[in-house]
Amino acid sequence: MTDILQVARREVKMGFRNPWAYSFLALFCTFSLSLLIINSQNIVQGYSAITGSMLSLVLYLLPLMTLFLGAFSLTAEKEEGSWQLLSTYPIGTLSFIIGKYTGLAVVLLVIIGFGYGLMGLISGLLGTSFDSSTYFLFLAFSAGLVLLFLTLALFIGSLSRNRWQALTISVSIWFFAVIGWPTLLISILGMVPYLWVKPLLVAATFINPAELVRLFVVVKLGGGSVLGPEYFQWVEWIQRPNGNLLFMSVCLLWILCSIVGVYKIWERGRTHG
Amino acid sequence: MMKYSHSRAGRQFLVLLLFPLLVVDLLFPLYSQPAYADSTSYPPGRSLQDIIDAAEPGDTIDLPPETYQGPVVIRTRVTLRGGGRATLINTTVDPAITILADGVTLQSINVQHDQDGKTTAIQVKANEVTLEGLAIHTGGYGIMLRDADRAKIIHNRIRWFIPQGQPAGERGNGIDLYNSHGSQIGNNEISYLRDGIYLENSRNTTVDGNKLTYLRYGIHCMYINGSKITNNVGEYNTTGAMVMGVTNVVVSGNSFAKQIRNVHSQGILLYDVRTSSITNNLVEGNRVGIYMEKSAENELRDNVALRNFIGIQLSQAAGNQFHRNGFIANVIDAEAVDSAENVMNGNYWDSFQGMDVDRDGISDIPYAINPFYQRLISRNSAYQLFFQSPGMNFLSDMFAGDKASGSVDQAPLMKLDTKAPIGAVRKDGTVMVTGWLLLFVSVITIIYLGVLRS
Repeated sequence: MTDILQVARREVKMGFRNPWAYSFLALFCTFSLSLLIINSQNIVQGYSAITGSMLSLVLYLLPLMTLFLGAFSLTAEKEEGSWQLLSTYPIGTLSFIIGKYTGLAVVLLVIIGFGYGLMGLISGLLGTSFDSSTYFLFLAFSAGLVLLFLTLALFIGSLSRNRWQALTISVSIWFFAVIGWPTLLISILGMVPYLWVKPLLVAATFINPAELVRLFVVVKLGGGSVLGPEYFQWVEWIQRPNGNLLFMSVCLLWILCSIVGVYKIWERGRTHG
Repeated sequence: MMKYSHSRAGRQFLVLLLFPLLVVDLLFPLYSQPAYADSTSYPPGRSLQDIIDAAEPGDTIDLPPETYQGPVVIRTRVTLRGGGRATLINTTVDPAITILADGVTLQSINVQHDQDGKTTAIQVKANEVTLEGLAIHTGGYGIMLRDADRAKIIHNRIRWFIPQGQPAGERGNGIDLYNSHGSQIGNNEISYLRDGIYLENSRNTTVDGNKLTYLRYGIHCMYINGSKITNNVGEYNTTGAMVMGVTNVVVSGNSFAKQIRNVHSQGILLYDVRTSSITNNLVEGNRVGIYMEKSAENELRDNVALRNFIGIQLSQAAGNQFHRNGFIANVIDAEAVDSAENVMNGNYWDSFQGMDVDRDGISDIPYAINPFYQRLISRNSAYQLFFQSPGMNFLSDMFAGDKASGSVDQAPLMKLDTKAPIGAVRKDGTVMVTGWLLLFVSVITIIYLGVLRS
């Protein structure tokens, strides 16, 4: 436990001394504030144009930020030799991985907290009507997105040999998960029988954190009916209070599985390396 | 016990006496009606049916504030007034009141119909009937008109209820017209039933100023050529107004909001509508603001679609005119498929960034509705999962070359003149306080864990 805390503390310290963290912080703040100002005439509540565009902004920016910061942090351990050094200490690989995850999560959540804090403050000063439940939903949505993509980042960081490789893989994963996703699925599902499309689409959504979180927020914003009759039951489930629990357990499952996977990779590297 | 006021003075006196009661009852919703009186308070000896049967044509009967038992059949031309305090309870499957004589007037009577399904509280099978200020609680239908022309149905309140000690039954429609032409339906309040106002085969009907909430369809009409649907307000229905199979209809000044619960919800649904005019309507916060299918040669003018998921959706709608409509803060302004040859001019699309070089308030570049998503989901509705996914917008834009075949606004407005209601949320400062707190905590964390050397 102390090992985990030590690693996490070191990670947080390195994170906040990393200029990348601040450039992403600035980027996130600038864009969210710009959106708020563009839409300052409209109220921010429910599923509408402004919440839709905020959703898109968050979906573009946060996964990219998370993948970069997370993956680079892990490859840096290998590149700079600190992992080789740590390997000689009596510190468990699992403690190391969990510590890294926790530390990075703290850094990213603080960045988001800063961005949303500024947004809430400015919207209060501008007099924009910002519905508080919508605000909290967006906060939770961003946190969930970051925590899920961080697991992907750990995978990328573990599998790539250096930062350049991590950068390339991060960008391509981001592109497929956020931008190319419908294109990819529509083209693949065009070849399967008609009745398979929906189940495959649902299964695919569970493995793409960006879509999973986006759909959860759309439903929670009250926009579930726009998804049409095919997903009526899903929407019903998520709208209930139990929906939050269901969603959180799916996220937790995601995170646990990934940490175990990453642990396997590093443990193998430690014994064979 | 019973009073007949044949004399003019007596009638005026009674009106004066009853008027405050009527006002009080109009101000308070239905549940304020008097509790059921026990059987001892029924007029001894004479039922409501006896009283009506004893009346001469042209009589006005003022009912004392009693509770009566239905069913009742009116076969002579009388005016029956309840002063808002007379209550008729019907537990049989027959209508509580059946009107068979022309020119009958019912005023300010509370009717409670304890049956569901196809049964109705009031059935009209005669012409020129006036139903005014009635408060109807029904398990089934409210008012049913069959082959009854030129009726006047105004200021009634109709509500669905579950009779005590019974399971919820099948709901009927609030006001249901079949083959009844030239009626006037105004200022009624209808809620919790199946369809609020259902019109079938009823031409030249006026539906004005009604308030329709928590229904399946607020207004549901078919084959009602030459009718007018104006100034109605609908909220929380599956669909506000469903208009189908009509020509020369006016849908104007209506407001339909918050229809999002159902996966088929719309503000206004137009199906097979021809040469009609749809103007000055406000559709706000619906799943789809205005949905138009298989409709042609209509004019849509000065409508405002505000904060809907989809502002307007067109499917196989061709040859319609769209002028000066405003599309504001919708998740997506418009979707169209197989809808070429519509004339769109001078509409305002707030998601569209126009360019106005000659500063005439009209964009010099056209606005085209992208048909890609709509076409995709019409092939397989499972793809609706991609609604407004960032990747979906990316993909649609790549097929921009296809836009020309869809609907195009040649001269979109740069700015909307009509001031659309913005609405407001309750400001309790929670967001601002949370903002302060988050900012404070994150800055402290950064300084404490990152900057300070420990």
